[in-house]
Amino acid sequence: MPPSSEPTTDTPLAEQDVVSAEDLIEEVSIDGMCGVY
Amino acid sequence: MILDEAWGLSPSVALRPEPFGALAYHFGNRKLTFLKRPEMVAVVRCLGEHQDVRSALVAAGVPEAQHEAYADALTGLARTDLIRPRVNGAEELNR
Repeated sequence: MPPSSEPTTDTPLAEQDVVSAEDLIEEVSIDGMCGVY
Repeated sequence: MILDEAWGLSPSVALRPEPFGALAYHFGNRKLTFLKRPEMVAVVRCLGEHQDVRSALVAAGVPEAQHEAYADALTGLARTDLIRPRVNGAEELNR
């Protein structure tokens, strides 16, 4: 990847990471899976 | 706003560490939830040790810019009873 010519900030990468709730948790239903091997 | 409230992990929930974070299983309602980041796992584990959610996020090293997203995620966990509000500093008893 070529180096960017645009100015960059000194903000740590973690703070630049935009997250949403979907990135943090995912609900799964396992009802009805009884007996599945 | 959940950020200023005291919450804790439900006693009916088991956390299983995984490379991506953890699996959370509720033995009561059989809900299975993926905690998709190690930081989210750290927050959930230490929720009960802090006076409010915001303090737990800071202790887990979550950047303030992400607090709202974590609050939304925790609200989702509350909907499935994976976490419960704490009353008077003590974790709420089983209902």
